[in-house]
Amino acid sequence: MTLMPQSSTAPSISVIVPVCGRRDELRDLYLQYKQGLAMIELQHEFIFVIDGERSDAAAALAELQQAGEDITVVSLTRSFGESAALMAGFERARGEVILTLPAHHQVQPQDICKLVAALGSSDMAIGYRSPRHGGWFERARRNTFHRLVNFVTGVRLRDMGCGARAMRRQVLEEIDLYGDQHRFLAILANRLGFRVSEVALRQSPLDRRKRIYRPREYARHLLDLFSIFFLVRFTKRPLRFFGMLGAGTFGIGALLTAYLCVQRLAFDEKLSDRPALLLAALLVVLGVQVFALGLLAELMIFTHARGMKDYRVEEVIQYPEENAPLPSAAMPSTDGDLSQPMRRGTPPAIA
Amino acid sequence: MRAAKVTTQTPPVGNGSEAARPRLSVIVPLYNEQESIRPLYAAIVQALGDIGCSFEMVFVDDGSSDDTATIARQIARFDSRLRLVKFRRNYGQTPAMAAGIEHARGEILITMDGDLQNDPADIGLLLEQIDAGYDIVVGWRHNRQDKLVTRKIPSRIANWLIGKVTGVPIKDNGCSLKAFRADLIKSIPLYSEMHRFIPAMASIAGPRVAQIRVRHHARRYGQSKYGLSRIYKVLLDLMVIKTVTTFASRPLHWFAILSLPLLAVAAVLFGHTFITLLTQRSAVSIPLAGSGIIFLTSAMILLFAGALAELVYFRGDLREREFLRLTQRVRRAPPQRPAAPTHRS
Repeated sequence: MTLMPQSSTAPSISVIVPVCGRRDELRDLYLQYKQGLAMIELQHEFIFVIDGERSDAAAALAELQQAGEDITVVSLTRSFGESAALMAGFERARGEVILTLPAHHQVQPQDICKLVAALGSSDMAIGYRSPRHGGWFERARRNTFHRLVNFVTGVRLRDMGCGARAMRRQVLEEIDLYGDQHRFLAILANRLGFRVSEVALRQSPLDRRKRIYRPREYARHLLDLFSIFFLVRFTKRPLRFFGMLGAGTFGIGALLTAYLCVQRLAFDEKLSDRPALLLAALLVVLGVQVFALGLLAELMIFTHARGMKDYRVEEVIQYPEENAPLPSAAMPSTDGDLSQPMRRGTPPAIA
Repeated sequence: MRAAKVTTQTPPVGNGSEAARPRLSVIVPLYNEQESIRPLYAAIVQALGDIGCSFEMVFVDDGSSDDTATIARQIARFDSRLRLVKFRRNYGQTPAMAAGIEHARGEILITMDGDLQNDPADIGLLLEQIDAGYDIVVGWRHNRQDKLVTRKIPSRIANWLIGKVTGVPIKDNGCSLKAFRADLIKSIPLYSEMHRFIPAMASIAGPRVAQIRVRHHARRYGQSKYGLSRIYKVLLDLMVIKTVTTFASRPLHWFAILSLPLLAVAAVLFGHTFITLLTQRSAVSIPLAGSGIIFLTSAMILLFAGALAELVYFRGDLREREFLRLTQRVRRAPPQRPAAPTHRS
């Protein structure tokens, strides 16, 4: 990582704070973050993204700006969600390093520098709160969730709920976040081939107070798991998985039907009196439907495969011939295109 | 920022300068092949030097954890014909192959394994077949140097099955040594773990496929990266490819055919219900009528799925027209191409 002098005009760290549902008093938070960032000798900028109508937050930030604090505030007209807020902030960001911080006290601000330092050996660093407070039930729930995520994706994470992450600019350039994907940012980055590391951060004392988790929270976790599962399974080779699932369901249905038919023929039990026939029919039909859905997904990938690459090229290396004529100045050099990793959707730099 | 831009300058290729386009690209996916890479490079240069046509090499480093990339970079430094495509992490053989195909600029693409089991000296044989007018030439390891029980027998069964199902009777799908006409292979979708099925995938374009016997050497360095566990994956992929290539061009048609049996069952069940209603011999059976409704609904949904698939195809980038053009030209053309100045003796 290049160390930029303080006098440089462009900041090297962009701090994005999405202000969504859960938030604390922003003035206090900002000052703490600023103090924490002062430990890093790199120039930084603050970008607050207010997601929808949050007048208290807007007022607090306006006050800060009037007090001469150099912060950028992006206000969204309606609530688009945290992922969209992050992307909106990223569009304004000029730094080479993007730091996302939660809008509530979650980690000790003094530890933020650890995140940035971790980028020396990885592309993205996500914090995990350690030691983390919470009852045994909370801990068990979190463990189960993260173990399931690990099982589905193969990515071992300890705290997906941590909003403190640092990443190279490139990571967000290649990821198109939407919906609830901000919570899976580390998983998405890993899938694109970026090196993701975890950094232990002390939990903020203000985050330690007991929170009561509503059923909605649990439902959300379940939904997250479901989305990750589909993200991994459905976007790669859908028919392989759903074909198996469909064939299995179809097989059970067919067996049940066969059983009923045998009973009809051998023991003269009338089919018209068997409600089990309904179940058999449902299973057969469900199997066909699941298969058809998998097929549809596979067709989508098959017919779009040339546009969507499931690999990421880090660099293309080729040296020119020693005594070859240099490309004329008029010719647009392909150098930049080739040494840069391919972006999603861009055609190869080869005609 | 982290990809240190070692690349100094790329030769003026692509942008219209046809002269720079080599006739041949040799694509080699590499995964942890630090011992093999130098002998491999030497063998390729030697073999192609004998043939004497212009060529380039595209080495794809599939996120190796050993020194493969470093060594390849060293070679690239003194041989401008080598192009190294480096992956960020390990993605597998098919993506590596796809990336190699994407970055190759030759008119004819040769793919081969990086473990020295294929012999680059056979490239000339493949070229002869391409010159004879074939679009795809597949190597066949007739004297295969692998374990009998875990490698050869399963592979023979799999090849027989693949030939039966896809209608492309190739004796050895697992052999990586293949030659393709570049424009054709670049238009074939390649994803997941489809590299074993490239000829089958390509069958949507209707190419002329030839297969020739090639040499096969025992593994010199490193471990084989595949085992017996891939068999069930191969079978599943076979099913997937068969269905997808069948459905891809006329989705609604095939979805409709899929829904026909369901419709038939529904018709029988409804027929029975109506007859009971008309004759009034007994009360209408709920299980029978209910099953009829289930089957009918499912058939309708399948038809809609077919319409959706039609939309997908319509919005996609797969065009039968394109394939038709690619292969059509070959069928008509006499099997003569401007031969390289000094052809293989």
